[in-house]
Amino acid sequence: MTKFIIRRIFWLAVVLLVVSFVTFSLMHLVPGGPWDREKELAPQVVEALNQKYGLDKPFLNQYGDYLWGLLHGDLGVSYTRQDRDVSDILAQGLPKTATLGVTAFVLAILLGIPLGMAAALKQNSGLDYVSVFFSTIFASIPGFVLGILLIIVFSVTLHWLPTGGWGKPEQVILPAIALAALPGAYIARITRASTLEVLRQDYIRTAYAKGLMENIILLRHVLRNALIPVVTTAGPELAFLISGSFIIEQLFSIPGIGRLFVNGVFARDYGLIMGSILFYAFTVATINLVVDILYVVIDPRIRYE
Amino acid sequence: MDMKFVTRLLLLITVISLIVLPTACGPVATAAPQVLRVNLAGEPATIDPNRASWSTERTVIMQVFEGLLGFNQDLTLRPVGASAIPTLANKGISADGKTYTFKLKPNVTWSDGKKVTAKDYEYSIKRLFDPDLAAEYTSFYFDITGGKAYYSAAKESAEAKAGLKSKVEVKAVDDTTLEIKLDNARPTFLQLMALWPVYPVREDLVTQFGDKWIEPPNYIGNGPFVLTEWVHEDHITLKKNANYWGTKAKLDEIQLKMITDVNAQFAAYKNNEIDMSLVPAGTEKATMADPALSKEILRHAELTTFGFQFNVSKPPFDNKNLRKALNAAVDREAFINNVRAGIGKPAYSWIPPGMPGYDANLGSDYHFNVEKAKEFLKAAGYADGSKVPELKMQYADTGTNPTIAQFLQNQIKVNLGINVALEPMERAAFTKFVNSEQHTWAWFGWGADYPDPDNWLPELFGTDAGNNHTTYSNPAFDALSAKAKVELDNTKRLQMWADAHKMIVDDAPVLFMQYRERFRLVKPTVKGLKTTSMDGDVCGDMFFYEVSRGE
Repeated sequence: MTKFIIRRIFWLAVVLLVVSFVTFSLMHLVPGGPWDREKELAPQVVEALNQKYGLDKPFLNQYGDYLWGLLHGDLGVSYTRQDRDVSDILAQGLPKTATLGVTAFVLAILLGIPLGMAAALKQNSGLDYVSVFFSTIFASIPGFVLGILLIIVFSVTLHWLPTGGWGKPEQVILPAIALAALPGAYIARITRASTLEVLRQDYIRTAYAKGLMENIILLRHVLRNALIPVVTTAGPELAFLISGSFIIEQLFSIPGIGRLFVNGVFARDYGLIMGSILFYAFTVATINLVVDILYVVIDPRIRYE
Repeated sequence: MDMKFVTRLLLLITVISLIVLPTACGPVATAAPQVLRVNLAGEPATIDPNRASWSTERTVIMQVFEGLLGFNQDLTLRPVGASAIPTLANKGISADGKTYTFKLKPNVTWSDGKKVTAKDYEYSIKRLFDPDLAAEYTSFYFDITGGKAYYSAAKESAEAKAGLKSKVEVKAVDDTTLEIKLDNARPTFLQLMALWPVYPVREDLVTQFGDKWIEPPNYIGNGPFVLTEWVHEDHITLKKNANYWGTKAKLDEIQLKMITDVNAQFAAYKNNEIDMSLVPAGTEKATMADPALSKEILRHAELTTFGFQFNVSKPPFDNKNLRKALNAAVDREAFINNVRAGIGKPAYSWIPPGMPGYDANLGSDYHFNVEKAKEFLKAAGYADGSKVPELKMQYADTGTNPTIAQFLQNQIKVNLGINVALEPMERAAFTKFVNSEQHTWAWFGWGADYPDPDNWLPELFGTDAGNNHTTYSNPAFDALSAKAKVELDNTKRLQMWADAHKMIVDDAPVLFMQYRERFRLVKPTVKGLKTTSMDGDVCGDMFFYEVSRGE
């Protein structure tokens, strides 16, 4: 197990290196740079800016400088954020994005798993139809549409909750719901499908046959086995949620990190682009590792040598 | 969650009524603080006056700083930190127009009580030329002797830079006298001296705090407000400057939020979280029809012209009569009414109304007239539209641009029978494409940096000028521009620009489309808002200190 983890951490470093090189190259290949303005800057200004940010050096030198900085924990500076360190900007936005993401994740799990289980246990009942109906609806509505609907109903019409911003608990409610809807619906559907499959397994029949109490069968045998596919999908969902959603953060004016990447791309803010991509890659890879370790806990058949 | 919220709400209402009711009944009620809540549309890239170049940045800077000169609402100049506007008569401008002497008011102070002296201006302007700072607006000030050489010395040694810095001809003669020398006469120099890049900056703060000098409480200015809070990506709070040297602001506080999505901004306005808002494109007519919102609409003209710029080096756009035919074949009234919801004015020339040099009679050939367009087409050598090769038009694929492009395509096809192929591009890629003159025909706009034709003609239509992407080149225009740029007699100067403008309209390097008008909502309780035709995304920000909140 330890060996497995060490090997995975080594590969994580390789993945980050490849991601950084590919992103760095693409960023410079895309037409249009950070100083291409509709009102064109004077050539002397562009020259001074290139000199200031080291963009006048050859491509490989720039990449080398970036890697060297990265090894020292320096993600560079943002051209569109007062020359602040990208690591500072990410560190300031991360707690907000993570709070929102974790809230949404918990919401999705708390709604998705019980709803999916209940629907499976009472298959073809009214409850099942309601569960399938809602999970289909929420899986189909894009987050920004749901977000706008929530704002119109709860802010503009009822005046119960603010339209956006950050700092007060009530400002988390609407974006968390908008963000949780899709993964919640997805988790409900997966839970339902996998529970149905487990219920048909021989070992469940055996458990019933040997006269185990229903609650014990459901908790120990059904739930545990039905959760494996759920954990597989929930892992990446969590990574996605805590690394931020551009659309939801934009719509609800949340000062998180989700907006940074897209804004960075539009402005060709190289520091921000690299920082957000590397952060995203790191989060996804780390959570996948955690998920792989969790498998062992849940499924006794899985062992890593 | 809902139950908890309802309980909280009830509790809140009880507490508020307990506080409000007794005071409302009592004889003396303390006035509520006067707060203006404005949306800044995003995190400013910097609020360092020397470095700033965007309108969001300007909005913050103009509340906290003041320059030697400022603008009146009609965009004429007024002295602010200076005791008078330099003129030839008061010896503020030398006879050759190359030396400017500013006399400072002696009583202007920074918000921490220190006096603002000519040294602060000298420091700031020299810092503007610092190549290591790489400020974006510096090129506007290259006429200042020694400035361009210092700014272009990015690769030189520190000693060489120091030497060049000392040769920048900006000098504090004494505490209240600032002398600036120019390479050549520049009649619009005073307008440049009213812009934010030359506001005074405190050397001690920049030295002590470095890049962090723009954070509160280090960010000390000489304007009517002070920066007290900056939560990055979220909001900025400005409070009244209690030490302000002049008439103090009526507002106690300005809150600048950073809502980047226009739909969210509009919702926040309707939920009474902000006091001014833009409306999402396409909802203007519904807003005008709304019984409540229609009373809160504020419309004002802006010094911005939109059009489709031709690349006159690329056939068939090298054919002047074809360009004229296209100009006459587009129904601008229909464009304003159908695409722009009736907001804006049709443009038949380049310089917009409200700017010296505007002439309503110019471009009469371009008023929508299919017959006239066909005559131009014949003069261009095409018997009819079907003989013209397919035209290609590029635009940035954002906002309402696709609709604008389709409108053009339809007009040209229906009125002249010419096919137009639309080529949408990602915004930054499009910008690069146009700036390197790879385009054939492209949608664009130009807004005023300062209200003078000097900023509107040579920079765009002079041979090889920085923002000339039509590749237009006309020696007669260049010669006239060169004279007008340095002409000190204002009447003569404006006449020269008017003549130069006529050449541009006649040669039609652009299909002129629209003079911009801004459409916003402002709460009726915001009193005394004064807009100008140079306001950016935040309207009235030049005069926020005159705003108050009423019933």
